[in-house]
Amino acid sequence: MKTLHRMLLHAIAASFVSAAEPATPAMSASELAARLNAFQQDGSSHVRLKMEIQGATKTVLQLQIKQRRTSASTEIVYQVLWPKERMGGSVLLRKFGNQAATGTLFVPPGPLRTLDAAQMKEPLFGSDLSHADVIENFFAWERQTIVGTEIVDRVSCQVLESKPGGGERSPYAAVRSWIDVRRLVPLRVEKYAASGQLVRRIDTTRVVTSDGRHLPANLTVSSPQKGSFTELDGSRLKRGVSYADREFTPDGLKEVTTPRSTPE
Amino acid sequence: MTFSTIIVRGLLRRPVRTGLTLFGISIGIAAVVALVGISQGFETSWGVGMRTRHIDIVVSTLGSAITPKPFDVSVRDRVAAVPQVTATCSLFVDFTSIEDSPMMIVSAREWGGFSWQHLKLLSGRMPKDAMEPAVVLGRTAAETLNKKMGDPIQIEIKELTVVGIVDGGALVENGSVILSLPLMQEITGNDGKINIIDVRVKPGLGEDELQRVCEQINSVVPEARAMAAGEHISNSEAYRFVRAMSWSTSLLAVIVGVLGVMNTMLMTVFERKQEICILLAIGWKRTRIMLMILGESALLGMLGGFMGVLIGVLGVKAIHNLPGIRGLLDPDLSPRLFFTSVAISIIVGVLSGLYPAWRSSRLTPSLALQG
Repeated sequence: MKTLHRMLLHAIAASFVSAAEPATPAMSASELAARLNAFQQDGSSHVRLKMEIQGATKTVLQLQIKQRRTSASTEIVYQVLWPKERMGGSVLLRKFGNQAATGTLFVPPGPLRTLDAAQMKEPLFGSDLSHADVIENFFAWERQTIVGTEIVDRVSCQVLESKPGGGERSPYAAVRSWIDVRRLVPLRVEKYAASGQLVRRIDTTRVVTSDGRHLPANLTVSSPQKGSFTELDGSRLKRGVSYADREFTPDGLKEVTTPRSTPE
Repeated sequence: MTFSTIIVRGLLRRPVRTGLTLFGISIGIAAVVALVGISQGFETSWGVGMRTRHIDIVVSTLGSAITPKPFDVSVRDRVAAVPQVTATCSLFVDFTSIEDSPMMIVSAREWGGFSWQHLKLLSGRMPKDAMEPAVVLGRTAAETLNKKMGDPIQIEIKELTVVGIVDGGALVENGSVILSLPLMQEITGNDGKINIIDVRVKPGLGEDELQRVCEQINSVVPEARAMAAGEHISNSEAYRFVRAMSWSTSLLAVIVGVLGVMNTMLMTVFERKQEICILLAIGWKRTRIMLMILGESALLGMLGGFMGVLIGVLGVKAIHNLPGIRGLLDPDLSPRLFFTSVAISIIVGVLSGLYPAWRSSRLTPSLALQG
C-alpha cells in the first residue's frame, strides 16, 4: 500500500529527472572521486527531510539539516523538528581539513554532550546512520579504485572502492559506491568493516534535479547485522542559504531556527 | 447461416483460447483506462480547483519541479496593473511531508484574497487574522493527517492549531493544508516571497482575449509565466511526464494484446485451413474470407475492449478506496475515455487480424483435398 502510494507521488516527482543528457566520458577512479568530492563541497544549504526508522518499532522524525561545506571544512547540524517531545534534539558535526571529525549532541533540556570517537559511531537519532556516516566524505580519501561495472536499477554504474589512506580516519576499512556516471549520483553505497563484513548499505531510491544537478532525494539505509533499516525522504533543498556562525556552534544547537530567504 | 453468425461461431469454436485472448486484450485496455484515467483525473481535478476558485489565469514559475520556485511578492502589483485584470491573489504553495504523513500540499493564501472565498466550512472556523497560528484543513487532508478541530499541527518549526475543516470543492483543495500567506512566509523564512498568483479577468473574455492578457502579463513579468487556468498544469513538465508515462505503459500493454490476438487468429487460420478452402471452393471470394477473419479479430477486440473498460473501472475504484490512496486520486473515467479505449481495442483487433487474414487469402481450394 505504502509502495503504491509512493509510486503515485513519485510518478509526479519523477519529472525531476531530466530526459536527455550528454554521456560523461570515461573517468579514472581518482577523477570520478574528485568530481563527486567537489559536489559534496557545495556551500551552504538547508534540507528538510522525513526519517522513518524501521526497527523493533517504527519511529518517524521530521528533520532539518543545515550545512556549510567547503574544501577546507564541513559543518553540519541535524535538528529534530517533529515529534514535539523530541523537537530540538540536535547534533553538530564538524570536520576541518584532515583532522578527526568532532561532534556535539544536544537533547533538550540539556546539557550539551561532546561526542568522543566511540560515540561518533553511534546511531544518529536512533537511525541506521551513525554520526560518522553523516560527516564522513569517502570521496575525498586518497585510495580510490574502480573495481567493476554493475547494473543498479537498470542503470549501468561504475563500482568505486574507497579506502582510507594513512592520515585518514574512518570506522570503515572500505566503502564501495555504485556510481551512475552519467548523472554523477551514487545509487548504492556499501560500507565494510576491517573483517570484510558489510556494516551499512545505502540505496538511493529517488534522484531529483536541482539547478541542473542530480541529487539523491530518497535513501534507504540498512544495517544487515541489526536487520533494521531507515528511510530518508528529502522534501526540500534550499541552496545558497545564509547562516550565522553561531548556528554551527554548540550553543547554537539549543535554538531551532529556519533560515531566512535572502533578498534578490 | 448469416455472415455474422459464421464470425461468432468461429470464435466460439475454441472458447478457452478465445477467453484467454479476450482476457489478455482486456488487461491491456484496463491499463489504458486506469493509467490514462488517473493521469487525466489529475489534470481535471486541478482544472476543477481553478474553476471553483473562479481563476482565469495562473502566474507561476512551474517548470520541472513539483512546486514553483518563489519570486518576489511585488510581481503581484505588476500583474494587477495589467488592463483586463480585475483581481489577484498571491499564494505560496509547497509540497512537503507533515508530521508522519506523506507529502502534502500546503497552500498559503494572501489574507483576505479571493482564494479563501469558496472554502465551505464543514466544522470550526476560519483563522481570525493573518498571523493567528492556525490552519484549516481540506476534508481529505484532515483524514490523511488524522486531525480534527483543535488538534495541533506542526509545520516546519511552528506548532499551529487546526481551527476548521473545509470543503474546497475539488480534490486538490480538499487535500490541502490551508493557512495565511504571511504566517507561512514567517514560518518558512520566505519573507516577501510567493510562488503563484491567481488572476481573475473581466468576465466574458474569450480564449483569444485571455491569451492576449497572458501575453501582456508575460511582458511585464519576465520572472514568471502566465497561463490560462488548467493549462499551466497540463504544460508542467511533471504532468507531461506522468501523461507520457501512462500512455507509454498503456501502449506496451496494448502491444501485448495485439500479439495475443494475432497469435489466436493465426492459429485459427491454420486450424481452419480446410474449412476456408472449402468456402473458397463453393465460391466465396478471397475478400470475403479476409473480411471473415478481420471480423473475428475485430469482434475479439471489441469484446476485449468492453471487458477491459470494466476491469479498468473496477481496478481504479478499488485503488481509489485503498486507505493510503483515498483522497489522492480523482480519476477521470469519462465516456470519452471509455469510447477511446474500446476504439483502440477494435483497431488493435483489426490490425492484429491483418496478417492472418492475408495468410487466409493465400489459401487455394485445392488445399482442401490435401487434408
